[in-house]
Amino acid sequence: MPPTPSRNSNLSSASRRRFLQAATAAATGVLLSNCARALLENASADKSGAAASATNANQTLRIYTWANYTDDQLLGRFKDKTGIQVIADTYDSNETMLAKMQAGGGKDYSIIYPSDYMVQQMVGLGLLAPLDPAKLTGIDQLMDRWQNPAYDKNNAHSIPAVWGTTGLVFNPEVIQTEIKGWDYIWDNQADLTRQITLINDVREVLGATLQYLGYSINSTDPAEIKQAYEKLLEIKPTVASFVTNGWEDQLAGGDLKMSMAYSQDAIALIAEKPELQYIVPETGSSLWTDTMVIPKTAPNSEAAYAWLNFMLEPENSARLVERLKISTPNAAAFDKLPPKLQQNEQLFPPKSVLANSEGIVPVKEEISNLYDQYWTRLTSS
Amino acid sequence: MTTISPNLAEPPVPSWQRPFKKLLQPTILLAPAGLWLLLLLVFPTLLILELSLIPGARLGNPPGPYGLGNYIELFKPVYLQVIWRSLYFALGTTIVCLLLGFPVAYWIALKAPSRWRNLLLVGFILPLWTSSLLRAYAWITILRSSGLLNSMLGFFGLPGQDWLNRAPAVFIGMSYSYLPYMVLILYASLEKLDRRLLEAAADLGATPQQSFWRVTVPQTLPGIAAGGLLVLIATLGEFAVPELLGGASSMTVSRLIYNQFLGATRNWGLGSSISMILILGVSISIALLLKYGDRDAI
Repeated sequence: MPPTPSRNSNLSSASRRRFLQAATAAATGVLLSNCARALLENASADKSGAAASATNANQTLRIYTWANYTDDQLLGRFKDKTGIQVIADTYDSNETMLAKMQAGGGKDYSIIYPSDYMVQQMVGLGLLAPLDPAKLTGIDQLMDRWQNPAYDKNNAHSIPAVWGTTGLVFNPEVIQTEIKGWDYIWDNQADLTRQITLINDVREVLGATLQYLGYSINSTDPAEIKQAYEKLLEIKPTVASFVTNGWEDQLAGGDLKMSMAYSQDAIALIAEKPELQYIVPETGSSLWTDTMVIPKTAPNSEAAYAWLNFMLEPENSARLVERLKISTPNAAAFDKLPPKLQQNEQLFPPKSVLANSEGIVPVKEEISNLYDQYWTRLTSS
Repeated sequence: MTTISPNLAEPPVPSWQRPFKKLLQPTILLAPAGLWLLLLLVFPTLLILELSLIPGARLGNPPGPYGLGNYIELFKPVYLQVIWRSLYFALGTTIVCLLLGFPVAYWIALKAPSRWRNLLLVGFILPLWTSSLLRAYAWITILRSSGLLNSMLGFFGLPGQDWLNRAPAVFIGMSYSYLPYMVLILYASLEKLDRRLLEAAADLGATPQQSFWRVTVPQTLPGIAAGGLLVLIATLGEFAVPELLGGASSMTVSRLIYNQFLGATRNWGLGSSISMILILGVSISIALLLKYGDRDAI
């Protein structure tokens, strides 16, 4: 073989290594120059001043909502009426939505559907635009309870869209006794090993226990929260899992005796399995509301108001009730419902049942951390 | 370097240009993948590292000073317990996969008729074509107390099992998910086995059992290490199976991370420090894999 040409590989590999080192160092320096910090700071800054409202995308409206809250028929009617094309994206938890909005990924949305406590939190973070009552028609038709809700005084930032309760679903033939509320689980622990499921939400589960103990669902007293945690720990062996959805088949099949559930999930299941029953515990329940809001960054607030007014129309609210088996805060829509739905006590519980129910409101960060620490302990042990 | 053909007539280049010219080709060839890794692996990891060094970092709060608070927090018993449980699930799954996978791979590689081998392997890979989420849901249907398993046990007069929402369901679901990987890697390793050594062992009077333990197993140790570590790496960060099958007491590291980022507290700092610990654990496993694993089999 002829000798290979000398290419001074030593020098070259050394310089390559130096190049790589320099490049890596430079990249690391740039990247570590407070990227994460900038992210956190951006999110905490009060984003005052809405983005330029009139863009060329005036005829489309992007909505960020829960799965099933919109359907093709509804969007089609809205387009027929206003000529505005709606694109709906969905999220599965308020926290996911908030994280996306805070990280700046939600600038395209003009309408969002946060739940009650999240409205309050988002107002606190300065993410929501105040609503102009002059541009809204039909807010006077809202039921009294939603005229001035605790989470948003005078509906200044939000329009209640739907509401519901949190309660217990079970099969009365399997249970054999009359159940009034939570005490059944504590009284029958021995027979219920891994037979119940609880919602995968710290405030709902600890809140229900607080109510069972006679405290407020929004307790901020560390001693009360600790007591609720210890009470819950007693029945941990009865908990098969903490799931918000996914218990339905097993409950209907008899593998579970009882599930804690949001009313609309329970009512949807009962429509298929009439032998099941849903109750609001007598010690109270959380009464939740999903609302519609306009974020400050909304690119198309005109279309957003058109959507709010469209959804406030009794016909459209009533259709939502019929389709989703969810309760409406709109009195005019309630009047349009068939009597069968109006008299459905699971959908519209009588006032006496709702007397003990409260909406969950956000608590201070220290208290929120406390809730979460107990929740981590409860779900991790 | 030494195989470069001298026949390629290269025009002489000024000496100062040489390093650049030498760098040009690798730069062009490596740039797409390098950029990919930099943007989607190195950058996010550095971001997580920085977040993990800001105690109590939360979206919506002005960030505090740097510190190690998030890592100190991890030494609380409740978090140690979660880390330990993840390790337990991962190690247990690895052992189950090894025990189930070795006989299968051994049979396919050495005993089955050679024209069937590819078909058998494809049969083993087929389940991987369905979504892992779907397979986890299938296990719920099988394992629930009125499910398929208990119907069958009842048919044979055996006592029913209550495995769903407990550790056995997690082991079953995860082993099922990762068994094909183990079988493929062990197969690749066993196929290379030098059969003349087995014949020699038999000639020298070794029983089949002796030759298995003293010839086959030592020769396939790198394959066993590769398969085991690969399953360990994958299961350490497993999210869906423990979430769906594990029930109320199955919090694992990846679920804890999810809760810190998207749960009610949104403690991104703590979530990041747990992520760094997970990255560390996986990195150690990868280092072991590169050192001891059978690289041809992976």
